[in-house]
Amino acid sequence: MTPVTPPRGLLALEPGLSTTVQDLGRHGWAAFGVPASGALDEEALRLANRLVGNDDAAAALEITLVGPVLRASGALDVAVVGGSFGPAPGRVLRLGDGDVVSFAAARGAARAVLAASGGFDVPVVLGSRSTCVSARFGGFQGRRLLRGDFLAVVSPPSSSSPPLFDDAVELVEPGDGDVVLRAFGGPDEAEFDGAQRAAFWGSRYRILPESNRMGLRLGGPSLGLQETTSRASEGTTAGTVQVTADGHPIVLLAERPTTGGYPKIAVVAAIDLGLLARTQPGRSVRFERISVTEARSLLAAREVRVRSFPGGRT
Amino acid sequence: MKEAGEFAWLLTFEGEEAAANEAARGAAAAILASELTGVVDVVPAARSVLVTGTPELDPDRLRGFETAPLGTAPVRAPSSRTHEIRMLPDGADLDEIASRSGLSPAAFLEVFVQLPFTVGFLGFSPGFAYLYGLPRAFHLARRGTPRIAVPAGSIALAGPYVGIYPASTPGGWNLLGTTQRRLFDLRTEPPFLFAPGDRVRFRL
Repeated sequence: MTPVTPPRGLLALEPGLSTTVQDLGRHGWAAFGVPASGALDEEALRLANRLVGNDDAAAALEITLVGPVLRASGALDVAVVGGSFGPAPGRVLRLGDGDVVSFAAARGAARAVLAASGGFDVPVVLGSRSTCVSARFGGFQGRRLLRGDFLAVVSPPSSSSPPLFDDAVELVEPGDGDVVLRAFGGPDEAEFDGAQRAAFWGSRYRILPESNRMGLRLGGPSLGLQETTSRASEGTTAGTVQVTADGHPIVLLAERPTTGGYPKIAVVAAIDLGLLARTQPGRSVRFERISVTEARSLLAAREVRVRSFPGGRT
Repeated sequence: MKEAGEFAWLLTFEGEEAAANEAARGAAAAILASELTGVVDVVPAARSVLVTGTPELDPDRLRGFETAPLGTAPVRAPSSRTHEIRMLPDGADLDEIASRSGLSPAAFLEVFVQLPFTVGFLGFSPGFAYLYGLPRAFHLARRGTPRIAVPAGSIALAGPYVGIYPASTPGGWNLLGTTQRRLFDLRTEPPFLFAPGDRVRFRL
């Protein structure tokens, strides 16, 4: 009798604060009210996957403020990209069977993506492996990781490990001062008067602790009461800055509801959504106006950078 | 047409809301049928359609769907279905809903089950449907303080809409009753009971 090989994967000795399986998101179902979900930091997800030899779209773990402590079952490579968590952020960690590695301590960052070679083997639901925490489906049993969860990885096509890359991935982390988010005017900007717009683009806001994967709530000067009861609900996009009835901005993120009725003063450029995901609650942010054309160019340049990493593999 | 993201555009429609919504649904169906390159999500809402896409999506190709006069776009989605939803009149706000319209609960329900509704759009949570067809006399404001948990399957009223909560979530709508039907069930194919444009009638 041949011995049964235990599945390769990672056991959560400690789950971390809010660790979820995420991929590039669940697209094409917004008309049925299904949130996109997916990693808040798409660039980190793609680069972490590339470091361990995966496709960009493979499922990884998004870790938040306090990362997990994991024990390897079988040999596998992991990589953390985004915020600095664990012993070797931005580099491949080659784990052997039984190795324990802690990603608990965040050094100034809110989030990072942890990819494992093969990608995490959870069911594809509506085209994606992402967790939708609010509706409790997708990812690992539709929820955040708990202590004792075992995440199997998809077996790679060959048993040989990909070559190790020496280059470390370093994404922009929030510095000491205000975090500057580039943004362009939102679809309802014209509904705000000159003073309100000047206040929005000129103010410093603090990321409030009640923020989550649906949206970042910002504390700061109120833009004044908004008439919202008679507004028609409209489809929402990631990065949209909506202003609530009491005049406070919320930046909508990956797990936002698909429709919303608050006026939308601005849209954070997609190029800076990763930086925003890495920024801890309590930090100060302000908005810097760019054009939507510039925002597109920045994304196109990033696409070239990501696709050329590492070594021109696409 | 307004920019809602680097590769996202909002098409908006004027007029009375139910008519604007019908135009929005027609435009959404026409955009999907056109098989434009680079379209990712097409989201009809109260009086708008959000189209998100990849960098290959050409916004000039979307403009025509906003300006096409009513009647030129295929307004009725070919797949539109009719649903009969059996309800229990056990909502916590039934008495208040009825008395605000000057009716007894029994009289209100008698009128309610004769009304034809149309699924205008879905949003808020997976499978949550916004139904048009409520007479103006029955339009009610949301409750001042939302409930922390509304029972799953709740049939509820707010503004011009009747909505059905697919799951137990926080909610500020006025609760009329409940249904056992599942609006979002990943074990069925398709997982959603309703699609925009579907017809709905309630039965006691």
